[in-house]
Parts: sequence; C-alpha cells; structure tokens
Amino acid sequence: MSAVVLLILVALPLFNHNEYHLEVLVSAGIFAILVLGLNVMTGYCGLLNLGQAAFFAAGAYTYALLNVKLGLSFWVSLPACVISAGGLGLLFGSCVLRLKGDYLALVTLGFGEIVRIALNNMDSLTGGPNGLTVSHPVIGLSPKSFDFGIKSMPYYYLTLLAIIVTVIITNRLSSSRFGRAWIAIKEDEVAAACMGINTGKLKLLAFCAGSAIAGFAGWLFAGKQGFVSPDSFDFITSIMLVAMLVLGGIGSISGSIVGAVALTVLPEILRPLQQYRMFLFGAVMIVMMLFRPQGILGGMRIFEEFRPENERVRQEEDEVLSEDLRQ
Amino acid sequence: MSHLETFLQQLINGLTIGMIYALIALGYTMVYGIIQLINFAHGEIFITGAFFGLAVFSLFPSLTQWNSVFTLVLMFCAAMAGCGLLGVVIERIAYRPLRKAPRLACLITAIGISFILQNVLMLIWGPVDKSFPAFFKHSALTVGALRITFMQGFIITTSLVMMIALRFFVTRTMLGKALRATSEDMTAARLMGINVDKVISVCFLIGSALGGAGGVMYGMYYNTISFHDGYLVGIKAFTAAVLGGIGNVPGAMLGGIALGMLEGLGAGYLSSAWKNVFAFLILVILLLCWPSGILRKSRNE
Amino acid sequence: MRQKVLIFVCCFFAVISLGAKKIGVIKIGCVGPITGDQASLGLDQLHALQIAVDETNAKGEIIPGYRLEIVSLDDQHNPSQAVAMAKRLASDPAVVAVVGHVNSSCSLAAGPIYQNARLTQISPSSSNPEISRKGYDTFFRTCATDDIQAPQAAYFAFTQLKARQVFIIDDKTTYGKGIADEFEKEILRLGATMFGHEGIMQGDKDFTPLLTKIKALNPEVIFFGGMYPEGALLVRQAKALGLSAEWLGGDGLYVPAFIVLAKEDAEGVYCTFIGADVRSLASAKHYIETYNARFGQERGPYSAYAYDASNIIIDAIRKTGKLDRQAILAQVKATKDFPGIVGVTNFDAKGDSTIGLIGVFRVKNQAFEYIGPAKK
Repeated sequence: MSAVVLLILVALPLFNHNEYHLEVLVSAGIFAILVLGLNVMTGYCGLLNLGQAAFFAAGAYTYALLNVKLGLSFWVSLPACVISAGGLGLLFGSCVLRLKGDYLALVTLGFGEIVRIALNNMDSLTGGPNGLTVSHPVIGLSPKSFDFGIKSMPYYYLTLLAIIVTVIITNRLSSSRFGRAWIAIKEDEVAAACMGINTGKLKLLAFCAGSAIAGFAGWLFAGKQGFVSPDSFDFITSIMLVAMLVLGGIGSISGSIVGAVALTVLPEILRPLQQYRMFLFGAVMIVMMLFRPQGILGGMRIFEEFRPENERVRQEEDEVLSEDLRQ
Repeated sequence: MSHLETFLQQLINGLTIGMIYALIALGYTMVYGIIQLINFAHGEIFITGAFFGLAVFSLFPSLTQWNSVFTLVLMFCAAMAGCGLLGVVIERIAYRPLRKAPRLACLITAIGISFILQNVLMLIWGPVDKSFPAFFKHSALTVGALRITFMQGFIITTSLVMMIALRFFVTRTMLGKALRATSEDMTAARLMGINVDKVISVCFLIGSALGGAGGVMYGMYYNTISFHDGYLVGIKAFTAAVLGGIGNVPGAMLGGIALGMLEGLGAGYLSSAWKNVFAFLILVILLLCWPSGILRKSRNE
Repeated sequence: MRQKVLIFVCCFFAVISLGAKKIGVIKIGCVGPITGDQASLGLDQLHALQIAVDETNAKGEIIPGYRLEIVSLDDQHNPSQAVAMAKRLASDPAVVAVVGHVNSSCSLAAGPIYQNARLTQISPSSSNPEISRKGYDTFFRTCATDDIQAPQAAYFAFTQLKARQVFIIDDKTTYGKGIADEFEKEILRLGATMFGHEGIMQGDKDFTPLLTKIKALNPEVIFFGGMYPEGALLVRQAKALGLSAEWLGGDGLYVPAFIVLAKEDAEGVYCTFIGADVRSLASAKHYIETYNARFGQERGPYSAYAYDASNIIIDAIRKTGKLDRQAILAQVKATKDFPGIVGVTNFDAKGDSTIGLIGVFRVKNQAFEYIGPAKK
C-alpha cells in the first residue's frame, strides 16, 4: 500500500505541472514533517506542545542567519538547523518538563509567542518584521550548478525525500527501546518510573527529538521560501499542527501525514467560498471529531491509551453505576 | 508627574484590565474545575459578549442615549444572557458528545468553535474594528497628577460585585454546593442524586455569562472592539486562571489582578513592544516556581 | 481510507483545472488577507478593485470578446501563503495582472514569482522601500514609500508644529516601523530631541502603560507609525490620562474609520497622505460616493491607492488590446501621467509612484481638513 502511494506521489508532478498544486503539496509536506515531530512528543510520549512553531522558527532562522551573515549554503546549514532547534527544545524542555498535562501545554503556548515576538523585536539580528531574504538551494558547483529557484517541482521531490527520512527516523524511534518507554510514560508515568524508566530523561529526549524534526522542517521551509519573517510562525500555526495530528490520528505516522495533507488541502478547496471558508473549516473540524474522535487513521488502541488511566477507570465505574441505578 | 504618581497610575491601569482578565478567567477556571477541559472557545465567547452589547444599540436605536443607566443594564443583561446561552449550546454540541473521547478531541472541537464564532462575528459586523459606545466620557477623579477615570472605577466595582456574587452562589446555594460536589468527585455526586449534566450546563452558563459581562466592560473601556480580539485576551485570561491555580475561583480573581498589574509595570518600565512577552514570561516563571498557582489548589470550586 | 483521501485530492485538482478554462475572460488577481485579523485591509483592496472592474464591465467589453473578472485570493498576511497564491495566479494563463499584496512582507515573498511569470503586480499598500530595491521589474506601487512620506512628516512637525521634543511610537510592523524609523532619522537631523522610540504590538488594546510613561516625559509631539485601530486607541487613552501632546501619524490614520473609532478625541490629530486633498477631485468624489453606497462608510486607508492601481491595470489592458502578460507589463511600465484619484501617477524605474507630494490633514469637526503640503 505504502509503495503504491509513494509511486503515485513520485509520478504526480509528471502529470500535473501546475505550480500552485505542487506548491500546496510542498506546504502540506513541510507541515507533515512538523506534525511527525509533534507526534514524537505528543503521540508517543503524551507531551502536549502548543508551541511547535517556535522550533520550526528556530530551524528556519538558523539557516537564514547562517546564510545572510556567514554566507553558508543551504546544504551545509542543515546540521546547524537541526541542532539549534533540538538544542532549544533541550534547553526549554529541561526547564518545563516537570509540568504536566495542560500546564505544559500552556507553557509551550507561551513559549511559542515569546519566540515569535522576540524574532519580531530583535531588529538588528533578525530584520524584525521585514524578515530576511535567503538564497535558494543550489546543487553542484558553478558553472554547472542547478539552482532550485522558485519552481515548485525540485522542492516537491526534496520535501518527499525529507518526509521519507523523517518517517524512517520516527518509525525507528517508535519501535526502539525509547519508543516503548515513551508509550509506558504516556500510559502511566508513575508505573513507568517504578519499572526503572528514567522518565525525566526520556521525556526530555522525546521533546528534543520532536523539536529537532521541527528544525529540519524549518530549514526546508526557509530554503523553499527564500524568505523568512515572523508572520510564518504564529500561534495559529502551532494550533493547526496539533489539529492536524489529532485529526489524522494521534500516535500514527500515516495519520500524521494524512492529517497534515487534509488540513492544508481542505482550506484550498474551500477557497471559492472566500470569507466563508474559515467558517466551514471550523465546522468540518467539529463534525470530524464528533464522528471520529480518534482521528482519521487513529486506532482504537490509541484512543484508549490517550486517556489518563484513573479517569478511564472512573468513567467505566460511572457507566456501570449509572446502569445499576437505572435498573 | 512624580515617580510615585507614575507608579500608582500604572498600578491603577493594571488593576482595571486585571479585573476584566479576572472575570474571563473565572469562565476558564470553572469549566476546568469541573470537567478538566480547557475551553479554548471561551475567548471568542467573551468577545461575542461585547458584540451582543453593541447589538443592543443597533437593534434599538431609540436607546442610543449613551449615558442612560437603563441602556447600561440592558447591555449587560443582553451580553450575559446571550453568552450564557451560547456557552450552554457550545457545551451541548461540541463537548458533551465527546465527554468519553480523548481529551484532545475536545481541543479540536474548541478550535473549530473558535473559527466559527470568529467568522460569524466578522460576517455579521464586518472585518473593521467597531466603535463601542463611550460612557462617562473622560470624567475622572484627580489626585495630584493621578487620574482615576469613572470608567475605571465602574469596571473595578462592577467586577468586584460580580465576583462576590459568584462566591456567594458557589458557597451558599444548593446549586453551588452541587457544583462543588461535582468538581470534587463526579461519580459520588451522581450517586448523591445530583444531575451532573445539569450542573455542567450551569457551570458553562455562569462562566460564559461572566465572560460576556467582561466583554461589555472591555468594549466600554477601550471603545473599540473587533472580531479577533477574543484570542489574545482569552489567552491572557487563561494565563491568569493558571496563575491563580486553575480550578480555583478566588485564585482566578487574584491571578487576573496580578497579571494585569505585572504586565502594566513591565510594559511601562521596561518596553511596551515586549508587553505580551512579559505576560507569558510571568506565566512560565510562576509555573516553574509554584506549579499549582499562587493560591494552592486546596479545594476545588 | 487512503484511497478515499487520494480520490479527494484528485477531485480537488479536477475542480480547480475545470475552473481555469473559461474563454473570453481576462482576470485580474487580488491578493490580501480577507480572513483573520487583517481582513479589513484585504477586503478593502478587493472592494476598490470590484468597483473599478464593475465600472469597466458596465461600459461593455474591455477589448473585443473579453470581459474582466477578479480572482480574489486570501494570503492571510502570511508570506508562505502569499507565495502559494502568487504561484496560483501565475499558473492561470487568463490572469494578466495582480493588485496586491497588502502587506510588505507578502509582496517581498511573492515578488520573485511574479517576476518569473512576467505578471504585473501593483501594490496599493506595501510601502516598505526594500521591495522596489530588490529589482523585480514586475513590481509597482501607488502608495508612497516610507522613505518619502516620513521625512516630509518630520519636516512638517519641525517647521510647522515647532516640535523640538518628540516621542515616537510604532506598531512593529514592516509599515509602522518603516515610517517611524525614517521619521526618527529626519527629525533628529533637523535638530529635535527624541525622548524615546517605543514599539507596541499590533492587535493589542491597552497602551496605558506606555502612555503613562510618556505623560511623565511630557513631549510636545508624539509621532505614531501604524494603522488607525491602534492610532484611535492611543489618542483616546492619551486623552483619558490627560496627556496634552500633539499627535502626528502617517497615511495609516487618514481614514474615516479613524475618526469613527477615536470620536471626539480625534480632534486636532495630524496625519500625512500622498498627494493633495483627494476629495477636491471630481473623480475621487464619485469613487467615494460609490464606495459608501456599496460597502458602507468604513473605507480603509489604502482604498484610493487600490482604486488607482486597479485602473492603471485596466487602462493598460485596454491599450494593449490582447491577453498578453509581457505586453501589459510594458504598458504599465510606460504609464504616463495617469489621472488617478490620489493624483497624476507615473512610475519611476524601480516601480515606485513618483507623486512626491505629501499633504497634511488635521481632524476638525469630525472630518479631515486639508492643511497643505508637508514641505513647500
């Protein structure tokens, strides 16, 4: 199945040259990478992050600054972008990861806003609201070089490659020792700690890995865009990423990708509705959740997993009791 | 203006906006206290309240004498009733069917509701900032260079009265008792014969009505409202709720006031471009030092 | 499920490609934020284009066999959306020109796409000087750049208002910060003292902390670089605090909506605008009446610029007489003394409007009163 999908995706640009369609798919692809990163934190380890845009921005601005100030090329900057975003995640995570659940969500939300406002206000470094213009990726040495330029096609394949790499990494992570420990932490942190899992360290690792992946997406985004400004990393972006993850199915890799594509393509389809489209978009989100609260590709197992254990037991008791009462 | 006067003026300004934050924070905190749900749509409910207030004018042109007490009362009634109802409806449509679903599913429906409300407001009233009727002009009480406008006095007193009324309701009435019981233990409350669904509806009703009242005050204070104001104020009110310890009613009041003042002082003395950063920094730092808020969550309310 | 998603995607492409093949239609793109917090600016630009296009279509076919049509797209003032929308316009062969984008950051991001597609872009409001310095030959604008408007405002403040002690506020956007920085440079050069230059957050409502601080400093003139919603809040809150300084702003304040929001506190506020008094021109009067009748009184600050931009494009299409992007681009570039409603428009080599005249207005009896040019 996945091979067929991949084949279709590889062949797609050969049949459809429309720049706009490809551009939408490239955006969807970049979002998919971000959601895959978020999936590591939220889906595997249960850390709700409402500030993923901050790490996205870290990657994008790292490339922009290296390119503008030091003249480094796109490809050379990659490790720096991943490390800076991951490092930011490590630093921030080590401060806040002892918070739980909604408190953590709120702090990450605040962090996302802090980063965006800081990028907007630190004019001398980041260009403030004007942003920074960066160069597009180039392959090969001049005179025989190929500039990616503004055409969507090269980015389409680059993004596809990036998604494949991310999928392999997150898939490996989920089936590794760490992945199993993350699931255990998400299920019940105390029990996980009792089993000898270093929960603090592992949560930090999940957070760091998720933010590093976001940095990777940021690097790709900056190169594709040729321009970075704080407008691209607002709170709505972070919220939409969580929405993509939940809609696609928390904890599922294919779900993350489907969610990202669905929520990027859907507003485009609704475009003829002009101002009404965000209205309909909201309605679709609600209806989706009412009929499939576990997400498009979310399995029932995950659906059960994501509720805190005690609450589930309590709810089951509730049901039994209320039935008893009715009799 | 002496340094002391400037400082006191900043505190008064902070207190006023803090009171509005507190009113909205109550809505977050009550809902969270009872079903552990962050009602992300609450910010939009709040600004809808301001628009309900504005609608009173557009619907009854004869009432447009902007200083009559009657108009004022009618505006608050319309906003509180409208928002209360809206809150109950939202709970029924978007949250109740999902009570047994994963928690995050509710987050998505809440975001969906936010999008819808925002766009409905924009479609009805247009995308341009709307002028909100001004009461009391700029009449003020002056002490030296210090100015306390009547509007500020009005906001501070009205919010205080509402919060005291809420406190009375929660601690002294049967329904309030049921509310506390439900937030303590939903199963036990149900066993005691409490209609939990009704209690949750009441909780949404009161929380949203207070948000609506906050919306009208917000409109009167700034004289400008716009369909997208809900988000930022909502986030800050939520911050206030967490500051005070989410699920804790007096905490929300204190959190709101503290946030308003700290934000004002930060913007006034450090840099106003970083104003929102202060709000969020305070949040991050306080949560790290006191993970359960200023007032410890000794008792759920 | 995956198959369903695929079918879904395919249907989407099918619908889009069907929509693109109409015959006899010349399309003008219109890109700006039409949802979200800056929707008013985007819709305002769209309204201006709608009026211009409807007026043209009412007169019959613009060139034999063709009618004009608008493709309105939403970039949500997000540069990455702007790029996607630019590509969408570029890939539709019936689109010959674009009015937009509203935000400078979006124009900057989308510029290369238009240049590559030879698609003429006229922005009514992206006033950041950087954009035309990038050398995109497809970029034009009808508004004044920040480095023309702001120094003249500073000259006016120094010579006419006798401002020697100023405070500068900007809204930390490309536009607001742009004109505030240029104002600061010029007023300091002229020899005034600056008590401070602070930013506010666009979309914020409470500026009393900053104004309380300014009150203690007591400057003579406060310059605000930003848009009217924040401007109205600033002057109202300043009055409530008893601040007595004069207010001066850029074209972001020259809108009826500013007076509507600031009410009686708008009295005495100065603002600058490109060209002389718009309302004295007959063509402008007609436009304003049409606008008010169709879309209400809440005309935005860039409405007149957008109307001129639309008409320059329509005029070029008519003169070219065919659906040819390159020819229309050449025609727009050759625009000479176009009689717009903000003034007689020409473009310089970079695509900027050459109307160097900046007028100053003052709010009096709840209306803008023309004072005269900022610099004689």
